[in-house]
Amino acid sequence: MRKKLFAASALLVAATLTLSACGSGDDSDQSVADVSVESGSDKAATVLDQPFEKPDLVLTDTQGKPYDFRAETKGRPTLIYFGYTNCPDVCPLTMSNIAVAKKQLSKADQDKLRIVFVTTDPERDTPAALGKWLKGIDPQVVGLTGDFATIQAGARTLGISIEPTSKDKNGKTISMHGTQVIAFSPKTDGGYVLYGEDATVDDYTKDLPKIIKGQNP
Amino acid sequence: MVTAAVLAGALALTACGSSDSGSDDDGGSGLSVGSAYMPQPVSDTMAAGFLVITNKGAAGDVLTRVTSEVAGEVTVHKTVGQTMEEAKSLDIPAHGELVLQSGGDHLMFEQLKRKPLEGQKVSVQLYFAKTSPITVEMPVKSATYNPKTGH
Repeated sequence: MRKKLFAASALLVAATLTLSACGSGDDSDQSVADVSVESGSDKAATVLDQPFEKPDLVLTDTQGKPYDFRAETKGRPTLIYFGYTNCPDVCPLTMSNIAVAKKQLSKADQDKLRIVFVTTDPERDTPAALGKWLKGIDPQVVGLTGDFATIQAGARTLGISIEPTSKDKNGKTISMHGTQVIAFSPKTDGGYVLYGEDATVDDYTKDLPKIIKGQNP
Repeated sequence: MVTAAVLAGALALTACGSSDSGSDDDGGSGLSVGSAYMPQPVSDTMAAGFLVITNKGAAGDVLTRVTSEVAGEVTVHKTVGQTMEEAKSLDIPAHGELVLQSGGDHLMFEQLKRKPLEGQKVSVQLYFAKTSPITVEMPVKSATYNPKTGH
């Protein structure tokens, strides 16, 4: 089974080719976004010319209650990331980078911001497991779990490709995380900024005050 | 005593910080370990660790096994796309290096006996096909530590 990511940011020609190779021809137009890339820019943020629509995700939060992503984050500056808690490197680093940057915002801005972590491994990431893990990062982060197909479909509308958790030939569990954090504007509710895995605390610290206002970082 | 010399070397390396890529010789084979750190883990169940093994020797070697006092199991994971795969062994080419870094291959510590905290050190033993084992005192850094910036 192919486990290659495809990045709908279309930053990488190779990624686009992978997409075609995977035969995901049923993707709607919105999963491939036009991207503005300033030449010579080493910014972590990629501002999308054509923002993503918020995914219609109704999942279960860490309290075990239903959480309607669109309704709960409407008009709020929002960051979304798809990962799993049994991930030692990229997932905790990404979430910790955001959490540390968030702490440098004013209290009012911190309360405005919605940070949503959606598990890609709902089988292992129960509401309780997610809650415990996120408490170690930032208790204000919303952790969501639920039906994998729903999560996968939601991720796909944001150009994030994930496969279900599987076992390798040694019986080791393999899960997959997304590669991007997507920021939604409080003004338009559009997903207008992408961050890759290499975005640092400093990048988020610099950009979050602008995202809170719906401005381009 | 090759092992003793290497242990001393690893300790000296720790003392002078992880920015040093390591110049400690184990007295013949030419393997040295540098840039070691563990980001403070989120949970008390698993952690990642990073380091660079440099091989100044004319013969390649292979990292075959890793153990640590803090973990029931340490495995080497290769990052393949967005997934992690356990690697049975990793080559350290002659006059080359094996880089375990964030976003790439890494050590995965499971069944933690305690949660490593920033400022502590975690003792890690590296076993090779040819070279004697090397012990590294891996400093625990913040959860967001970036070796490129050093903070």
